[in-house]
Amino acid sequence: MTTSGGRNVYIVCNSVDEMGGLTRWADHIARLLAAAGHRIEIIGITPAGTRADYGAELPYTTRTLYTEHPPPAWRARRPWQHANLKARARQMKRDAGMRAAADELTRVFRAAPADSVIVVAQVWAMEWVALADTAGLPVVAMSHESYEATRASGRYARVKRFFANADRLLLLTHEDADAWAVDGLTNVGYMPNPMPLEPAEPADGSAKTVVSLGRLSYEKGYDLLLDSWARICGRHPDWTLRIHGTGGEEANLRKQAADLGIAASVDFAGQTSDVEGALKAGSVFALASRAEGFPLSLLEAMACGLPSVAFDCAPGVREIVRDGVDGLLAVTGNTRQFADHLDALLSDADRRAELGARARADVGRFSPEAVVARWEKVFDLVHR
Amino acid sequence: MSANRIPDVTVVVVVYDDAERLPIAVRSVLAQTLDNLEILVVDDHSPDDSYAVAQALAAEHPGKIRAIQLPENSGSGGGPRNAGIEAARGRYLMFLDSDDTLDRHACLSMLAAAEETGADLVSARVVRVHQDKRNKVTQWHPWLYETSRVMDSVLDEPDLVVWDTLSTNKCYRRDFLLGKELRYPTGVVYEDLLFAAEAWLAAERIAIIPNIIYYWNVVERTDRPSVTNRRHEIKNLLDRLEIHRRIDALFARQGEQAGHELKVRKDTKFLKHDLVLHVRDLPHRDEEYRGQFADAVADYLDQIEPEAYQNVGTMHGVCALLTARRDWDDLLPAADSLMNPGKATVPLHVEDGRVYWCDRYLDSAWHRELLDVTELGFHTMPLQELSLGNRLTRLTVEGDEIRFSGSVANVLGRIPADAELTAVLQIHPRRGMLRGRGIEVPVTLRHAGGTVEWEAAAELGRRVHPVGVLDKVWDVRFRLKVDGTATVSGLTIGDVPLDGVRVPVLPITGPISADRFQAVGGKRGELEFWLDQESAAARRSHEFVHRFVNSPSGETTLRRAVAARSLGRKLTGPKTKAKAYAKLFMKLPIRKGTVVFESHMGKQYSDSPKYIYEEMRRAGVPFEGIWSYSGKPTGFPKDAKLVRRGSLEYYRALAQAEFWIDNQGFPRDILKRPETTYIQTWHGSALKNMGDDVPAEKRRTQAQRAATRRMLDRFDYFVTRSQHDADTLVRAFGLRAEVLPIGYPRNDALVDRGAGLAAELRELRTKLRLDDDRRVLLYAPTFRQDDNGAVEFEMPFDLERFGREFGRDWILLVRTHYLDQFSVPPGARDFVRNVSGVHDITPLLLTADALVTDYSSVMFDYALLDRPMFFYAYDYEAYTQHERGTYFDLREAAPGPFTRDEDELFAALRDFDAARDDYADARRDFVRRFGEFDTGTAAKALVQRFFPTGPATEEGR
Repeated sequence: MTTSGGRNVYIVCNSVDEMGGLTRWADHIARLLAAAGHRIEIIGITPAGTRADYGAELPYTTRTLYTEHPPPAWRARRPWQHANLKARARQMKRDAGMRAAADELTRVFRAAPADSVIVVAQVWAMEWVALADTAGLPVVAMSHESYEATRASGRYARVKRFFANADRLLLLTHEDADAWAVDGLTNVGYMPNPMPLEPAEPADGSAKTVVSLGRLSYEKGYDLLLDSWARICGRHPDWTLRIHGTGGEEANLRKQAADLGIAASVDFAGQTSDVEGALKAGSVFALASRAEGFPLSLLEAMACGLPSVAFDCAPGVREIVRDGVDGLLAVTGNTRQFADHLDALLSDADRRAELGARARADVGRFSPEAVVARWEKVFDLVHR
Repeated sequence: MSANRIPDVTVVVVVYDDAERLPIAVRSVLAQTLDNLEILVVDDHSPDDSYAVAQALAAEHPGKIRAIQLPENSGSGGGPRNAGIEAARGRYLMFLDSDDTLDRHACLSMLAAAEETGADLVSARVVRVHQDKRNKVTQWHPWLYETSRVMDSVLDEPDLVVWDTLSTNKCYRRDFLLGKELRYPTGVVYEDLLFAAEAWLAAERIAIIPNIIYYWNVVERTDRPSVTNRRHEIKNLLDRLEIHRRIDALFARQGEQAGHELKVRKDTKFLKHDLVLHVRDLPHRDEEYRGQFADAVADYLDQIEPEAYQNVGTMHGVCALLTARRDWDDLLPAADSLMNPGKATVPLHVEDGRVYWCDRYLDSAWHRELLDVTELGFHTMPLQELSLGNRLTRLTVEGDEIRFSGSVANVLGRIPADAELTAVLQIHPRRGMLRGRGIEVPVTLRHAGGTVEWEAAAELGRRVHPVGVLDKVWDVRFRLKVDGTATVSGLTIGDVPLDGVRVPVLPITGPISADRFQAVGGKRGELEFWLDQESAAARRSHEFVHRFVNSPSGETTLRRAVAARSLGRKLTGPKTKAKAYAKLFMKLPIRKGTVVFESHMGKQYSDSPKYIYEEMRRAGVPFEGIWSYSGKPTGFPKDAKLVRRGSLEYYRALAQAEFWIDNQGFPRDILKRPETTYIQTWHGSALKNMGDDVPAEKRRTQAQRAATRRMLDRFDYFVTRSQHDADTLVRAFGLRAEVLPIGYPRNDALVDRGAGLAAELRELRTKLRLDDDRRVLLYAPTFRQDDNGAVEFEMPFDLERFGREFGRDWILLVRTHYLDQFSVPPGARDFVRNVSGVHDITPLLLTADALVTDYSSVMFDYALLDRPMFFYAYDYEAYTQHERGTYFDLREAAPGPFTRDEDELFAALRDFDAARDDYADARRDFVRRFGEFDTGTAAKALVQRFFPTGPATEEGR
C-alpha cells in the first residue's frame, strides 16, 4: 500500500522558522525524512517572531498560514465581561481568521495522497488542525516536553483536549508516555529526538577539561555546577571547568566563582558555534540542569565519546544516560553527590575511557538512522 | 479493507441474550483507529434476536464483521470464546463482551506494543464504568499498570497473575493460543480466571502497557439476595472455589519454589479479597446457607499457606479462623469489624498480656496467633477514637413511629458500670453541605455488663425535613457519652429485617421529588435511610430530575452550584485570611506590649517559646501574652490569650503584635511589619543538613526559593547554642537576622538539673506511674520521612525481649512524633510508657536516667545532663546519605555506644556502667562542640535584652 516513492509528511508547528529548539528539531527531522525519500512540508501557523536561518536550499517546502500573528484568544470569564464589545469583536475576527487558516489546511490535506501523514508537533498548532478536515489522513501528535513540565503549564488542559483524539501521541520518552497513559490518554507512544551530530572520531580524552554548554539561566543550574566544582577542584588542580554559553545569570555566576575562590579554574568561554569542537576539547561533560526535556547537548557529548555527569532531573536524562554504565547521575540538587561523581571521573582515566566508549556506542540508539526507522514504523502503523 | 488481506487483529465479541447492547460494543470496534481488523461476533445461541442483530451488522460491513452462532447454548462465556479462537483469522486476538466497549485506540496500542516487543501476550489497563452512578469510573488494579514493561515470564511479577484475573484486557498472539492449545474451560462460570492464569503462565514474552483499553460496564447489585436465587449463589461459590482449585493445581505445576510463591500470593488475595466478599453477605443469610458456605470454604481455607496470613490484616485472619470453625456468634461481629476498620465489636479477651478476639480456640499456638488483635490497639485508644460495635437488635414501625433497639459492645470494659451514660441517635444527610439539616433522637440506655442496651423511637416522617434533591441518603450515627467523653458508631444491621421499615415523608421540594423515608442496608452493613418514591408521579419526576442532572444543562447547573460552594470556601480559606491580613489588619495600629508565641506551628505549649513566656511571667514583665494553638487548646497556659492558628483572630493578633516569638515559622505567606520584632528561637538541629544545604531546596524554582527567602528575611533575631549553629544553620539559611549566642531557653532547666521544675517533675512521675526505684530509659527517635511523606512508625526493637531482659530494672518511655501512632501492648504495660502525648520534652529528659535515640536533635539537649546516651542507628546510611546529608559523622562523634542492630543495642544497655563512665569525656566534648552557649541563663538573657523590667532591675545587676 505504501508508495515506493515515499509519503507526503506534513509537519505542523507554531511557526516554520522561529528561533528555538522546536524548529531546529523540525528542520533536522524534515531533512532526515526527505533524505529517506519522503516529501516533507513544514506548515507554520504564524510567522516567526525572531527568525532562525536554516539555509537557502531547503530539501522540504514550507507554508505559513497567517501573514501576521493572530490576536490572543479571549473568553468571558466573568458574566460582566460579556459586555466587552471590543474584545468580542476581536475574538470574532480571530475565529474568522482561524476558520480561513483551517480551510487552507483542509485544501492541502484533501489534495494529499491517501498514504500521507500529518505530524502536529505542538499543541497550539493542533487547534487549527482540529478545525480543519484532515480528509481521513492519520494525525500523529507530539509533545516535546516532559509530562511534569506540561502538567505545571497552561498547556496541560489543551494536550488532554486536543491530543486525545490524534491517532497517535508521541512523547519524548517512554516514561513520559507512561505518565500520560496513567493520566488517561490512550493513544500514547514515544519517539526520541535524533542525535544532532555524528562525529567521525571521538574526543581523544587527553584534555584535563570538564565541559558544559548551554544558556546561562537559573534553570540550567550553573550555580550548582560551580558549588560542586568548588568541592573537588582543590584535589584536581590541573583540571579546568569550561562553560560555554551566555545568558542572564552570567554576572552572578562569575561573582559566585570569585566568592568560592575557584575563578582561576573556571573558564567562561562564551557562546560557540562549533559544538563538536568545544566538546572534543574536553574529557568529561557536565549537565547540572534543574529541568530538562530531552537534552540534545547530552546526546552530542556522548556522541563525542565523553562520559557525563548529570542531575537526574527529567525522564529525558534517564532515557539517555544509564547511570553507572555510560554516565553518572546525581539526585537533582545534591551537589555533594554531583561533586563525588566528578571526582570519581577526574581521578580515574580508565573509568573515563570506559564510560566514554560505552556512551558513544549506546547513543547510537538515537542515531538519525535509528530514529528515522522508528518514524517509518509509526507511519506504517497509523496506516494499518 | 480487501477481503484477502490478513487482519492484524480479530476482536471476538461474545454475546448472549443482549441484542440491545451488542451494536454499542460492535460500534466501539468499528470506530478503532486501527482499520485492518476483523470483528467476529459469536452468539451463544441466545433466546432473543442477538444473532439476527449480529447478522445484520455483518451484512452492513461485509468483509469486516462476521457472525457465527453456537448450535446450542454453552452456559457460560467459555464456549463462544473458544469458537472465536477457532474461527479467527487475525494475527492477534482480543475479546470483548457485548455489554462492554473498547477504547478507540485500544487495538492500535495493543498491536504497537505486541509488534515492538514480540510479545505473546499484551495486557493493559481496564476501567470499570459504574452505570448506576452517573458513569463514575474506577480503575481495575491500577498499581499493576503504572509503567510499560516487557518480561519473559510472569514469574518475574507474580502479582500480575494473582490480581489481574481478566481475560478481556489482553491481546493474544493467535499462534501462541493455538500452539499452547489454550482454551477456556466450559461448563463452569468464572472460566476467564483460569484462562487468564493459563495464558499468563504460558506466555514466553509479555508486554504490559498503562494505556486504558477496555471499559467494563458495571451495574452494582443493590438488592439483597432472595431465597429464589440462593441456590444459584451457592452454585456460584462452588464454581468459584472449583476454579481456585484448578488454578492452585496449575501453580503447583510451575515447580516447587515458583509454585509456592504464587500460591502464597494467591492465598493472600483470597483472604484479602474473596473471603471478604463472601463474609460480607453472611449476616443476611440463613443457617442453611451458612452451613453450605462453611462446608465449601472451610475445606478450602484448610490448605491456605500459613505465610499468607502474614500479609493480611489481623481481622482477615480472625474471620478466616472463625469461618473454618463455623462460629457465627463470633464471626458476624468480626466481619463487621473487618468491613469497618477500627471498630471493636466484641468485648475482647485479655490473657498473658495480649488481647484476643475471643476466649475460645486459644489452646493451639496457631489459633492464638490468628486471634491476637493486640496490635489493633483497642486497649490503648482513647475512647473518643474507638468505634464501638453497635448491633441493631430490632427495627419496627408502629404507626408513624420508627422504633430502634440495639446493643453496644462494652469493649474491654471501657464503659464502667458506674459511668454516667447519655446517648442520642443522629440522623443526617450524607452530603456534607446539608448535614446541618439532621435531627437528634433521644435514647434510653441500660448497662448490661458486656453490653449497653438501648432503645429509641421517633416519628421520623414528621421530624425530618429533607430537601428532596441532593439528600437521598441519610446516615444514622449513635453518639454515646461516657462520663462526658463521646464515642460515635454506626448501627450494624446484622439479620434484622428492613423490609417495610419506612414512613411517609414530605420533602421541601414537594411530594413529587420523593415521598417516603426507607431503611436501607449500607455498603458496610450499617443502617441508613433513603429518600424514595412510592407514587407513580414521584417516580416520574425523579426520573426527570435524574435525566436533568445527567443532561448538559444539568451538568452546567451542578457545576455552577459547586462553583458557588467553592467560592464560599474560598471566602473562609487561608488565602482570604492572608489577604485580610495584608489589606486590613496591617493598617491597624501596633499594640505595644503584645507578644504572640507559637511552638511547632501551634501543636504544643513547649520548647523555648514556653520557657521565654514563663521567664517573662516570673520576672513580672508587663505584657499581653498570646499563644497560638492548632487542634485543641488544652495544655496551653490559662493566663494567656489563646488564638487558633489560622483563624482571623490569629492573623489579627500577628498583624498588631509588637513581638513574634516562635521556634519554627509563622505562616509563610504573611508579611511582618517593620514595627514588629521577630525572635526566632529555632528548635535545634546540628546533625542534619538544613536550608540551602538540602538538595530538595536547591532544586526548587527561582520563585519558590524567593518565597523561602522572604520568609527567612522576616527573622530579626535568631537564637543559637553554639558556634557550630552559626557555621551551619545561619549560613545555610543565609540569615540576615542578628544572631543571639545565648543558648536555648528550653535548656536552662537542663543545665540546672530541673531545680525550678521540681513540682512539675513530681507530677509527671505520678502521671507516668514511675513509682518504684527502677531506672527510667527514654527512647526518642527522630521523625522519618521519605519522598512520599511520613513513614509509619514501627517499634524498631522487640519490646517483649526488652521486657524479659530489662523489665525488672528499667522503665522504658517511648516518645514518637506526635503524628505517629504507637500503642503499648498490655503485656508491656508494666515496663513501657507511651509519652508521645506529653507536650514538653524537657521534663521527660530530666526524668530519664538514660537516653536512646538515633538522629534526633534531642541528643544535643540531653548531653547537657551528662547522663548515659545510647545511639540506635539501625538505618544510618539510608537515613543520612540517601538524600539529605549531615554536617558531621555521627559514628565518630557520638558520645555513647553507637549500635546498629537490636543485639548491639541490648548488649550496650546491659553494660550500663561502661556507657556512663567510658563516655564521660566524650559527652563533655560533645557539649563543648555543639552546645557551648547553653549555660543556663538563656531565658533571662533574652528577657532582659528585649523586655527590661525598669531601671531598678538594671541597677540591681
